[in-house]
Amino acid sequence: MSEERETRLYMISPRSMLTPDQLVRMVHAFGDKALVKETCYGCLVEAPRSENLAILAKVREEYPNEVFSKIRAYRCSDPRRCRAQHGTRPGFAQLEEEWALLAKIQYGLDQVEKGAKYKPLDDKKRLDVNAFKKICEVQ
Amino acid sequence: MKIFIDPPNSLVLFDLVERFGHEPLSTMAAIQERVDNLEVDMPPMNVTLDDVVKGLKYAGIEVPSGVRGRLALWGPLIEEADAAIVMEDCPYSFGCVGCERSNLMVKYLIHRRGIPTLMVKYPETDEEAVNFVAQAKEWMEGLK
Repeated sequence: MSEERETRLYMISPRSMLTPDQLVRMVHAFGDKALVKETCYGCLVEAPRSENLAILAKVREEYPNEVFSKIRAYRCSDPRRCRAQHGTRPGFAQLEEEWALLAKIQYGLDQVEKGAKYKPLDDKKRLDVNAFKKICEVQ
Repeated sequence: MKIFIDPPNSLVLFDLVERFGHEPLSTMAAIQERVDNLEVDMPPMNVTLDDVVKGLKYAGIEVPSGVRGRLALWGPLIEEADAAIVMEDCPYSFGCVGCERSNLMVKYLIHRRGIPTLMVKYPETDEEAVNFVAQAKEWMEGLK
């Protein structure tokens, strides 16, 4: 992983009341010299890795289970990816799908914090032949 | 520990692995190296000759180029990993943005390395998500 430049993507869970604008203002208020770009799902933050990790720690402190992050390969506003410069955004379908999943993950993290443990789920049972026949016979 | 995540660009897995104190190995880091250091038009859509050769180590010449291209990125990450976490049945790892054959090859490569692996199902409900997070947390704490 590169130490010089790290672009990090922050995504807000749909269960959260936080807005991208509030998140961007908060990151700016940390006073670091990072490049911050507001997006529809949260924000992008570009800085050296050590600085980025410090920002991540502060964001986690404020919103531990509401903001999720991962690194991004391309820089902020890279013309090959930035929609404003007619770039393609091939990964957006996945981001959209994961955005919906974040609500469940936020709930999971909250419950685990409260002490929920892993419980193996029951295996799905095979359908009984007689029960299946009944289903088929229903007009 | 270095943990390979599958799907390798998953936000949820990347976040959870970092949150529970490990280093995630992801596609993004591999692509970033190419974005920063190589004069390639648009990685990972465009590859270098080296990538093609690297891919041949993990998939035969008769395998479709898309699978080989993916494995050129993911193969070295799997070799570097100390453990792996695999989320099965993700809706986005199949279809126009995914590749089921690559997913099977990734699982095979992880299995062949014999590293500790957690296989979890994509959570569909809140209860499954609680189970998923709890299981991932317990497993990652056990790795330390």
